[in-house]
Amino acid sequence: MVVLHTSALFLTGQMKNNTQKISAMRVSAAFCGLLLAAVNVCAGEQPVGLGWLKVVAFAGHNTDYSGIFVYQYDNRVETSRITHVVEPDGEYEKLESLDGPRHEIIRHHGQVWCCINHKMVQMDSQHQQMGSRFTDLPPEQLSELSTIYQAKETGIERVAGYNTQAILFQPRDRLRYAHKIWVHADSGLLLKASVLGDKNQVVEQYAFTQLQIGGSIDRSWVGAKDSAGHGAGLPVSPVTGRGGTAINSGWVVDALPAGFKKTWEILRPMRGKHAPVIQIVFSDGLSAISIFIEPNDEDEDDAEGWSSRGAVNLYHKIMGNQLITVVGEVPPRTLMQVFNSIHYSGAID
Amino acid sequence: MKQEISVLMDGELFEDEAGSLLNRIEHGSELHRDWEIYHLIGDVLRQPDHIHSDLSAKVRERMRDEPTVLAPRVHAVKQKMRTFALSAAASLSAVGVVAWMSMQISPEAAPNMAMQQNVARPVNVKIQPKSNDYLMAHQEFSPSTDMNGGASYIRTVSYRPDEK
Repeated sequence: MVVLHTSALFLTGQMKNNTQKISAMRVSAAFCGLLLAAVNVCAGEQPVGLGWLKVVAFAGHNTDYSGIFVYQYDNRVETSRITHVVEPDGEYEKLESLDGPRHEIIRHHGQVWCCINHKMVQMDSQHQQMGSRFTDLPPEQLSELSTIYQAKETGIERVAGYNTQAILFQPRDRLRYAHKIWVHADSGLLLKASVLGDKNQVVEQYAFTQLQIGGSIDRSWVGAKDSAGHGAGLPVSPVTGRGGTAINSGWVVDALPAGFKKTWEILRPMRGKHAPVIQIVFSDGLSAISIFIEPNDEDEDDAEGWSSRGAVNLYHKIMGNQLITVVGEVPPRTLMQVFNSIHYSGAID
Repeated sequence: MKQEISVLMDGELFEDEAGSLLNRIEHGSELHRDWEIYHLIGDVLRQPDHIHSDLSAKVRERMRDEPTVLAPRVHAVKQKMRTFALSAAASLSAVGVVAWMSMQISPEAAPNMAMQQNVARPVNVKIQPKSNDYLMAHQEFSPSTDMNGGASYIRTVSYRPDEK
């Protein structure tokens, strides 16, 4: 009942603000309310943690919000502002760093722009043509997730002044991190997320400290300006030759941890690389591992190395004529296990 | 079966096989014990400094639970003998557990575990800005993007004061 009531409030707010997209918002908000209601109904009897994932993904894509969050990793804390609005031509999202040098990322329709040397530059993103949404996950894949992670609701907690439901996803093996999320009970938005190591230590954490949901949110930047406020528009790269192509590269991984499935295999351009790069992505539903294979162009300062940032680990090594890079939000031992079992099984195409 | 468990722990079983094996482990106490011991072995190999399983405490506890024999003085020597025999048995059984544990590592499983032990750890090396493009390319396909939205892109631009 609470849920339906707040959905209605949410709707009213939307109508006042923007008549153009009322119908779209009404449908999505109502659907969101339904999802939440469904989740709440079965909350009493059984663990419904996995259902929350759909709610979070849906709310994240369909809600207007703007807020300030902290990102905590490796004994550091960074503050950023994120603004997300839904326009008739899709979602717009802006991420700005508030400490240190200015960083800005704008995402729209799967395309990504970054502020590099005070100029917005379009990145070679592939998502638009591929498209992948949590909300589209079939139920069987969600139930498969429950064989890898044990989901548990751990109580009601307050985050950024809102009441949230905390849900813990504990892996059943030691090859991946635990994930804990705090979901705003009314809107379904994710207000806090922690990645935990196998001694329950925080590996990285996001948390909103201030958040406005709905209402009047600044849209002056949408599709129009660069970070300095000059109306230059978001530059669009020539599309030809930039998109990745799905391939079957012939590279295989023998020792994938249970539950990891290949989600993408593409030959893609990458900024600063002369030749296209093979990217193979494996995911277990909550985390992913990417393998990049490219010709060794002798530019590398070092032939081999580990590095990390928060939950993300990266390992690269030159093998023969190839530079192989593995990246993923999984523990180093998992990345190493994957790296050690990569081999070329011969071209299939 | 032990071989299967070892393969499962190495993450090399197919989904359905792993599922049914996990099911059997859950319901068979024998298998469940094997599973636990394999993890203990893995833990010992990976992080010998952080093992929490305190065998001696458990042995002591079992000893304490042994019935105290109340007997006339003449049997004191026998009693002493009994205590000695008990502690000897406890030590022997501890040795036995260790020996048994090492026997349980099948020759095929052993190299894998040894390999894990040697994994270099990226403790303090920060991802260099030149690697940001890999992070961004990865982030596009990571489920965390769907969950956290653009917030998880912060990983791709985070900076450190010492980074140039």
